[in-house]
Amino acid sequence: MDTTTTHEEQQPIQLHTIISGAADRLAGSVFILPAVLALLFLSLFPLIASLYVSLAKFDIAPGGFKLTFVGFRNYQKLFTGSEGTHFLGKFAPSTFLTWLVFGAVVIALAVFWARYLSSGKVSLGGVIGRVLLAFGLGSLTWMLVHTLWNGGRLGTASITLVYVFVGIFFQYILGLSLAMLTVQRLPGRRFFRVIFLLPMMITPVGVAYMFRMLTDTSKGPFTPIWQVLGLINFSWVNNAWGARTAILIGDIWQWTPFMFIVLVAALESQPVEPVEAATVDGANSWQIFRYITWPAILPVSMTLVLIRLIEAFKIVDLPNVMTNGGPGTATQSLTYHAYINWRALNIGGSAAVAYMLLILVTFFSMIFVNLIRQRTVETL
Amino acid sequence: MNSKQKLIKLLSLIIIFGVLITACGAPATQPPAATEAPATEAAATEAPATEAPAATEAPATEAPGKMFDGVTIDILTFVGPQVAEPLQRRGPDFTALTGAKVNIITVPNSELYQKILTDATSGTNAYDGYLFAPAWIVDFAPAGLIEDLTPYVQKDTALEWDDVAPFFRDFNSYGGKVYSIPLDGDMHMVYYRIDSLQEAGLEPPKTWDDYLAVAKALNGKDLNGDGEPDYGSCISKAPAQQSYWWIWSIAAPYIQSQGSSQGPFFNTKDMTPLVNNDGFKRALEVYKETGLYGPPDETNQGVGDTRGLFMAGRCALTMDWGDIGTLAIDKENSKVIDKTGAIENPGSTEVLDWDTGKLVPCDATTCPYAVDGVNHAPFASFGGWAGAVNAAVEQKQKDAAYAFFSYMAQPAQSNADVTVGTTGYNPFRISQFTNKQAWLDAGFSQAAADSYLGGIEASLNSPNMAADLRIPKNHEYIQVELDRILSEYIAGDLTTDEAAQQLYDSWETITEEAGRDAQLTFYKGTLGQK
Amino acid sequence: MRSWFQNKSINAPSPVGAVLSYLVLGFWALLILFPLYWLIITSFKISSQVAEGPFYIPFVDFKPSLDAWRYVLMGDLSRDTLRNFGNTLLVAPVSSLIALTLGATAAYALVRFEYHPRVGAIFTFIGCLILSIILISIGLPWQIALAVAGVIFIILLQTIGRRFKRALGNNDIAFWMISQRMLPPVAIVIPIYILFQRLHLLDTYTALIITYVTSNLPIVIWLMRDYISTIPIELEECASIDGASRYRIFWSVVLPLAVPGLVATFLFVLVFSWNEYLLALFISSARVQTLPLTIAAQNATRGPQWWNMSVLILIMIIPVIVIAIILERYITRGLLIGAVKG
Repeated sequence: MDTTTTHEEQQPIQLHTIISGAADRLAGSVFILPAVLALLFLSLFPLIASLYVSLAKFDIAPGGFKLTFVGFRNYQKLFTGSEGTHFLGKFAPSTFLTWLVFGAVVIALAVFWARYLSSGKVSLGGVIGRVLLAFGLGSLTWMLVHTLWNGGRLGTASITLVYVFVGIFFQYILGLSLAMLTVQRLPGRRFFRVIFLLPMMITPVGVAYMFRMLTDTSKGPFTPIWQVLGLINFSWVNNAWGARTAILIGDIWQWTPFMFIVLVAALESQPVEPVEAATVDGANSWQIFRYITWPAILPVSMTLVLIRLIEAFKIVDLPNVMTNGGPGTATQSLTYHAYINWRALNIGGSAAVAYMLLILVTFFSMIFVNLIRQRTVETL
Repeated sequence: MNSKQKLIKLLSLIIIFGVLITACGAPATQPPAATEAPATEAAATEAPATEAPAATEAPATEAPGKMFDGVTIDILTFVGPQVAEPLQRRGPDFTALTGAKVNIITVPNSELYQKILTDATSGTNAYDGYLFAPAWIVDFAPAGLIEDLTPYVQKDTALEWDDVAPFFRDFNSYGGKVYSIPLDGDMHMVYYRIDSLQEAGLEPPKTWDDYLAVAKALNGKDLNGDGEPDYGSCISKAPAQQSYWWIWSIAAPYIQSQGSSQGPFFNTKDMTPLVNNDGFKRALEVYKETGLYGPPDETNQGVGDTRGLFMAGRCALTMDWGDIGTLAIDKENSKVIDKTGAIENPGSTEVLDWDTGKLVPCDATTCPYAVDGVNHAPFASFGGWAGAVNAAVEQKQKDAAYAFFSYMAQPAQSNADVTVGTTGYNPFRISQFTNKQAWLDAGFSQAAADSYLGGIEASLNSPNMAADLRIPKNHEYIQVELDRILSEYIAGDLTTDEAAQQLYDSWETITEEAGRDAQLTFYKGTLGQK
Repeated sequence: MRSWFQNKSINAPSPVGAVLSYLVLGFWALLILFPLYWLIITSFKISSQVAEGPFYIPFVDFKPSLDAWRYVLMGDLSRDTLRNFGNTLLVAPVSSLIALTLGATAAYALVRFEYHPRVGAIFTFIGCLILSIILISIGLPWQIALAVAGVIFIILLQTIGRRFKRALGNNDIAFWMISQRMLPPVAIVIPIYILFQRLHLLDTYTALIITYVTSNLPIVIWLMRDYISTIPIELEECASIDGASRYRIFWSVVLPLAVPGLVATFLFVLVFSWNEYLLALFISSARVQTLPLTIAAQNATRGPQWWNMSVLILIMIIPVIVIAIILERYITRGLLIGAVKG
């Protein structure tokens, strides 16, 4: 082979490779910069602006409005001030049960700490993170055990936590079960798939009104059933947990498709060979699920749950439309709490609640992300 | 691969198409107010006058050289059909008369206040006029966001300002200046089923105790002949709906007895709330007790639901604004045509002694305005939808917007609109009460018209009428704090004493924040006191 | 008998399994379809038929009427309905496609490239951004403010920025992106409103599309990250050896394999922007209102107008269903991926 190339032939090749080489090196930036810039443009300013507003008081003034800096007063109101019972709930006196549960959580955290400290990989960031984790989980547990029973009343923070965790739990289980059933080669499964997608596609405001119609005990479609059951004069709206259940049902109905469709896509992306091989080796369905399918869909599941977690914290349409936050304040979520403040022109207070929500979401998301990181490291 | 390429081409086309449309959309996006408005003219005073003869005739007549040719006004209100529909319907008529094009922009009711506020305080000024709640005047007027309409009104003979009931003239003013034009008058009344009460031998209730007695007697009976038991009383109790207005309808007669300028909300000596006393507590108990005789999910119902129930014949008693009167005669939707009676809000035989906080019986000194020993204090809650003009737009826009509101409020239009239930407009002009013919034409029977209009008139003419709260932060007092505490009370989370105390404390906090002396001055101003 | 319980093949269940599956699936389908059925018949009712109690079957229980449909599509509301429907039809797909494009590329980058943005650089950047915002708010023209902030940024970057060596990784960038969705819209509505107002973009399609793109970008990135990470890197390495540039690899190798994920993600983002309410409420005023606003507005002072609402909700779902039906087959194509490997 003639390895010598003329000078003229070399130059164009060099130029081409230079350009494509440079373009390739820039690819890293080119790929990610548009997204980063877009997010910076529209996210940073509102974030900072609303932080400032949460530290200020909003008033209409001649010529427009004015913001007066008041420091942490809006936050103080939420914890120890007039909005305390609204936000944190009404605390019942401690009982044996509350100490038991709280004690259990404290012990679990202590064990967690001990394992960390003895693992030898202690770092400043790790310590800070774990302190925050312990403090956060501890105080949340304290709040929950004192407001859930024995005459305590849940505050909007706790109610939101209930909506999020109970809702996501059921959404995931249902979504996974349905996904696994529809992945099978059953005739007509495409029909089911399209149908199952429907609830997610209705605008949340529409779903909320629809459920309000459905759960109406005097005009809704289930009225004959209530009559037969003798419940005609009972209304779930008068009962705090009844109302919360109604909202949870609406929420689960609406968002299970989200889990469903992602899990279907994930299940269908699974390579068939491992399953074939396992079946040949004599594994039953449970074993296949436990050792092949589950680890394979775990990463997608965790992303899915994380995304849904972040969205679920912002629930507002269902409480707003179905019960207006009632009875009392029993179904108010944090976003609803911020929303009514905002409607009443207490924009500083509204921003403060929104930031507390942000802190809560960030807290749980970080826990979750760390769980994801650990898992993906383990499975490698 | 082929289908994939096609898909990609399709997607790229969609993206390019979309980007092109938005790029073309971008330049033409200046707020309409800024780009319209030719050179200002001093023709504002002529506009209402030239319409006066035209307004009473068919829209075909034209004033020579139309006043507002080329002007487009954007009016913001909430989605109808109530309140917005007449504006949309009469818009073209107005255009034919004056040449001004009218755009009615609607947003959901619950967002109207925020939308107006954001638009005005941020300087966007996308709207020339708003059809809004006069109680918001106290927020907007001091900040100079809405136009002082007194000069317009004084020169506007077609408007017949004096025909507007004095109460509504006052309610649309602030500090002696007119800031909005009423298109609608609002007053709470109690409606009852004439037939059901007659059958049971009951009189329409004069006091709230009577009301509870009637409700109890009729609860569970079949009132509309469908075999199902119905309800004695339907008063909505859902949070964030109207409960904070109903409670004052019940509380006012217990608290206010010395005339309208006494006011039921605050003690005029020191601005302490009049809520932690026996009068308000009694009202709380009454309100809660009506729930025993109502639909099981009343605590999740708004006035729209209770109205629907009354119209379907399922309630013996209800409290509402004027809408039920006009809706009841709807042949298609109403099962209670000619069975609906209206009375002034029930009163009380006991009133509050402001110094002791206890209830004392009514006599000549404690209840100078009592009728048959009963102190009535009809509550003009909400006040009625009114039109205000954005102060920051061009003069021509302001003139056109004012002219439009004036047109809507003039007797020729208004008298027709208030007789129709779906417009959401209730009577507010004296002539609308005295001239019953329009009502009969609309389908009222003589008896129904007398009862309905009699109820409103009695309320409006009452010397002890209670006006809605109109001081700064009234939103926070009423629609945030009172609403929340009320809903917790109804849900059983608070006892009567706790609710009264919490309300007192939270109102005091707001008063402190806003400045007690300033609030006191405002409050006394709205009561006509010095 | 045993054959009843044996799976027919890898993916096909046994007869008993099939029956059970159908029962469960059928039950859930019923749970979904019944509310929709109720919605449909409510759209054919008038006010008194709703207030009096539940009626189930048209022509048998109650006399259906086209009042609501006429009102919404041809009567007083039709102007609003048709205009808002058109707006939604334009804004949602366009913003979703843009978000998909930007997001998929960013997701690929986060999986295949390694980034190490330095903490110092990031904080300096944010600091200068805040500075420019403050400068603009006190009245300085934005060009000068940005220039000043930019210069300060570069100077600081060279000096202080160098001192903080600690760098973040891809996961942190990804987490930052998803954290953009954590703040509830109610808190950012007014700042965004003011931002667009200063840019004279209020009540325009551009503003809505930009807002939806940036709102949904994090979701696209997070979902696509996982799909792309399941694509074996060997395929890309092969292509790279053959001389393809990174762009070509992305376009010809990665994207086709990620189609099921792209489709699912597109559907979500479409649904999110299609149904979004609060931001649309504030960014739009007269021209670009979207359909969810019309639905919410049917909750009039007279009470919720259930019949109108039902009509509007049904109108809103139909295009999305159509798109879902069309795109559903792309998700099933994922089965081929398994066959390709090996």
